[in-house]
Amino acid sequence: MNNSVKSLVAVLFGLIAGALLMALTGHDPVEGYKYLIQGGLKNPERIGNTLATATPLILTGLSVAFAFRTGLFNIGAAGQMLFGGFCATAVGLSLELPRALLLLVMVLAGFIGGALWAVVPGFLKAKYNVHEVVSTIMMNWTAYWTVYYVIPAYFKGTSLETESRQLPADAMLHQQWLSDMFQGSYINFGFFIAVIAVLVVAFLINKTTLGYELKAVGFNRHASEYAGIAVKRSIVLSMFISGGLAGLAGVAQYAGNASSLQIGVMPSQGFDGIAVALLGINAPVGVFVSALFFGILYSGRGFMNAMTEIPPEIADSIIAIIIYFAATSILIERLYHKLKLRRAANKKQGE
Amino acid sequence: MKKGVLSLISLALSVTMLAGCGSKPASEPSGGAGGETPKANFMVGMVTDAGTIDDKSFNQGTYEGIKKANEDFKMKYKYLKPAGQTEADYSKEITNLYDAGYKFIVTPGFKFETAVFKAQDKYTDAKFVIIDGTPNSGEPDAPPVVKENTVSIYFAEQESGFLAGVATALHVKDGQAGFIGGLEIPPVQKFNWGFQQGVAYANENLGTKLVINKENVVYQGSFDDVAAGSQLAAQMYDRGVNVIFAAAGGVGVGAINEAKTRVQNGSDVWVVGVDVDQYQDGVYEGDKSVILTSAVKKIDHAAYDMIKAEMEGKFPGGQTLTLDATNDGIGLPENNPNLSDDVLKQVDEVFNKIKGGEIKVSAEQGDLIK
Amino acid sequence: MDYVVEMVGIRKEFPGIVANDDITIRLKKGEIHALLGENGAGKSTLMSILFGMYQPDRGVIKVHGKEVRITNPNVANKLGIGMVHQHFKLVEPFTVTENIILGSETRKFYFGLDVKSAAKRVEELSKQYGLNVDPYAKIEDISVGMQQRVEILKMLYRDAEVLIFDEPTAVLTPQEIEDLQGIMRNLVNEGKSIILITHKLKEIKAVANRCTVIRRGKTIGTVEVADTSREAMAEMMVGRSVSFKVDKQEGRPGNAVLEIQSLTVKNSKKVDAVKSFSLNLHAGEIVGIAGVDGNGQSELVEAITGLLPIESGTVSLNGKALNGLSVRQRNESGISHIPEDRQKRGLVLDYTIEENLILEVYNRPPYSKNGLLKPEAIRKHAEHIIQSFDVRSGTGGRSIVRSMSGGNQQKAIIGREVERDPDLLIAVQPTRGLDVGSIEYIHRRLIEQRDKGKAVLLISLELDEVLNLSDRIAVINNGELVGIVNTSETNERELGLMMAGYQKEEAPHE
Repeated sequence: MNNSVKSLVAVLFGLIAGALLMALTGHDPVEGYKYLIQGGLKNPERIGNTLATATPLILTGLSVAFAFRTGLFNIGAAGQMLFGGFCATAVGLSLELPRALLLLVMVLAGFIGGALWAVVPGFLKAKYNVHEVVSTIMMNWTAYWTVYYVIPAYFKGTSLETESRQLPADAMLHQQWLSDMFQGSYINFGFFIAVIAVLVVAFLINKTTLGYELKAVGFNRHASEYAGIAVKRSIVLSMFISGGLAGLAGVAQYAGNASSLQIGVMPSQGFDGIAVALLGINAPVGVFVSALFFGILYSGRGFMNAMTEIPPEIADSIIAIIIYFAATSILIERLYHKLKLRRAANKKQGE
Repeated sequence: MKKGVLSLISLALSVTMLAGCGSKPASEPSGGAGGETPKANFMVGMVTDAGTIDDKSFNQGTYEGIKKANEDFKMKYKYLKPAGQTEADYSKEITNLYDAGYKFIVTPGFKFETAVFKAQDKYTDAKFVIIDGTPNSGEPDAPPVVKENTVSIYFAEQESGFLAGVATALHVKDGQAGFIGGLEIPPVQKFNWGFQQGVAYANENLGTKLVINKENVVYQGSFDDVAAGSQLAAQMYDRGVNVIFAAAGGVGVGAINEAKTRVQNGSDVWVVGVDVDQYQDGVYEGDKSVILTSAVKKIDHAAYDMIKAEMEGKFPGGQTLTLDATNDGIGLPENNPNLSDDVLKQVDEVFNKIKGGEIKVSAEQGDLIK
Repeated sequence: MDYVVEMVGIRKEFPGIVANDDITIRLKKGEIHALLGENGAGKSTLMSILFGMYQPDRGVIKVHGKEVRITNPNVANKLGIGMVHQHFKLVEPFTVTENIILGSETRKFYFGLDVKSAAKRVEELSKQYGLNVDPYAKIEDISVGMQQRVEILKMLYRDAEVLIFDEPTAVLTPQEIEDLQGIMRNLVNEGKSIILITHKLKEIKAVANRCTVIRRGKTIGTVEVADTSREAMAEMMVGRSVSFKVDKQEGRPGNAVLEIQSLTVKNSKKVDAVKSFSLNLHAGEIVGIAGVDGNGQSELVEAITGLLPIESGTVSLNGKALNGLSVRQRNESGISHIPEDRQKRGLVLDYTIEENLILEVYNRPPYSKNGLLKPEAIRKHAEHIIQSFDVRSGTGGRSIVRSMSGGNQQKAIIGREVERDPDLLIAVQPTRGLDVGSIEYIHRRLIEQRDKGKAVLLISLELDEVLNLSDRIAVINNGELVGIVNTSETNERELGLMMAGYQKEEAPHE
């Protein structure tokens, strides 16, 4: 079965399961979905917000998918995103540069911050064969507590203890004309960063010798050694790029969708990135589409709540069910095979 | 290999699930047309802060005020839960409420300051109530801007803390008290300072000997680290503290848990709750609770009062209100099963003195601890 | 005549390929029936159908004359059909008995595992069939041959009447192979029936009663083994006559290409695996390394190719020392390497053929420029190798290598390595696990390389292969060079003694 068909079926199943849950709790699924979609796409402002919501998901999804493609399971996108966002915020709050240059430096800082956070597990994997799932999770918490300490100590807001100072307007990805185009939405340059990242990663994976190398190492480390590829360097480099992408998600989130960095919050986009990558079959364009789908769900949910009597907790469960089905699309294939077998058997009996 | 990947995926999913499990289903239906005749499309919306609608604190207090108003005024009401805690998350839910026709929007907590700052300009035909904060642009030293369609509400936490301090001193009479705060932010600090002043007042005027040592005044640094709360409380109790005033959300829950364990093992220790009546949280057996009393901010009153004012056409738009003893905005819970009538009587007297201006409770640190 | 199992007119189609096309095989009670076919001929598919893992599109399966539908392996087990897989499915830290009862545990008082009485039964079965297995030994402590017997016991414990052996000798030493053949005879003497999947004619001759040959998914015929020659069966399998002797001219050695001087190499456990080994290899000759598995051959090759560091000594190519150079630098200076384990080292199974064929050269023109891959050049390169080396696959260059048969995978590797036009071609076990047709083809290719003036280093565990191909033979034992002999002046017996560690001159005279 074609992979993208599998993903679509998974989404369909998720929507059906969500509809069942709505029906079971005494709500009209048709109405629920109507408002869910309207909430995400009803007017330019909402479309803009959907794109903005999807932005960090595109980037974390890309981060996880890239690691997957090169044989690594980067479960630390959350920490890399947080640390990348932190580096960008620190630059934004500390440097005074012309806007274009400042934003460029912030984006670079975010990329490198996230990348460094992922290089540590990459190095441990390459050198000591420490499994990256364990070390990236641990790095999540290292990022969490580092930010928890450094933000209040050096970048404390004037009144709020739990947030950094707000970034000056020049250090934010917001652009008035863009916001105006989407009628006051908080869409920002982060979306363009994400689109560029999708294109660059697609190009890198499919068209370059570097992509060839990294994928080869991911598929078969021994054969890569045999072929003369520097395997350890490739593992570290894969994690570097994957972490950098998650770091860009941090830039888009904290300097685009938000204007300051909160402590004590692990960005959920890091984990959602795994689901986005799975649903997007680890292909850059697939990730882009699946992140947009998640964006609609997340940004339409509130409107569904507001317009119907579906309580927020049920709405959360519906979204979770859809994601769950989407992420377990691998099961769909099994089901498909089983059905096929059964049909063949029935046909045989009928003869 | 394939199996390995699968198990990793399921691990990843369970992590995702964990990350998402802060939300438990509300025990009661959330919205709903509250009565037979909603008045002229009056619809009240609320956006929750971090945490659930039954958080025993700001969200719950606000929501209960709205529900109480519904009993009297019969309007449509609803709360929405933002996906995150950024301004964008809050703004989105405000937009959702507005688009759905809820044009009276209550936001509990200082985190809404920037979102309301923008919303009050964008939705001039809607009204906003923000509790514990004032709208501002969020830039450093930005001045508060309360527009005509917005009311900002503060509480005199120090007075609430003062009353709790007096009650505590009167009950314990002779011993040690401690304080555990969450983050070192103004509302928590004012509780702390007020509590210290209240204890001092009782020691001077009412013949008690309750001591607060410097090492027993602590800000944990978060509102959610339950384990740390237990640990801090255990240290304090080990140092001979009899009662801890915990103004610390989840950290306070940890302190309460520690107290329950100790009381069940025969110790005589107490916790003083915060924000709302926390008596039920401290129940360890039958209806016996380790919560001596609670320093209450009547958030529900604030929400109720604003809705009532709007119904009566007297919405105090553009104002910043402080709820204190004079308008019954703070106090101790209505029922205090752990306090004797005598103690309650004396606390009442003190309350009236604050009300009358005879006792002034400072909202500044002065020479108080932390 | 009674048949225990009959598969009649079986057809199974997969997308793009007919794996089985009207195959018929009938198994008599108490016989060993060989199923012979080249890799990819459809043997595994057929047995998977019998074992319930696939459903046939057409055809009938009968057990004891009764038509049955085998929907999954459990049904097969219930019908008394058991499979001894090529790759054992055992839990290492468990004992023999625990492994055997896994999945069909007898219980005592509902909860307690009744290992004791199970162990007793295992012991009885072991005695009855002459398996000689200790029911309490742990799997990780026993040899591969023993582990295979545990797999057999597993089937017997479940009262299997029909045992399917899938390439059972691939993992065994010659002695173990003989033992296994004894066990198989015991089994049929005790009334069991056996289907033996193999492509090794020698084994069929040794043990089987009848043999069904399939080729490209079709039954070619069933023969009495005793009345049929090896050559005849090979011809049925391959579809043309096959020679077992390799024709080759006398070699004309030229300059020394590879010079190994007192080479010492440590293995992954930091133990000396190659000890002070010296060897010269000239252009236009094939030198075979003969030795029992695990005597340092792998380490020797890895030290030459750069996969393992050289501890001491030198290795030089065309007079230039290789010590300290990376794998890639060595590749580029003229070494090609057909690795021992084609799936682990030689191929990226999830890449296409096209991608695999540029594994060592992807970073060089014309396959890439400025870091960008050049799909045109890559495709042309692949088409060339696919044609000249007869690599067969479903969809040409775009096929994922994992989906290809072992023989075609190996041909792709050989094509890739030969096409790089190296000075030194190292071929390690180049024909392992391959069918007669492929072996013949690969042997011809290696000799062709020699004749073109390449130096070929052949490492093989098959003494026949070494004797057939090599001009000179170096015998290795415990990491040391025992001696070098000219192929024309030696024989199997002398080599066997040298492999056991006797120096040439010490070897007892005939």
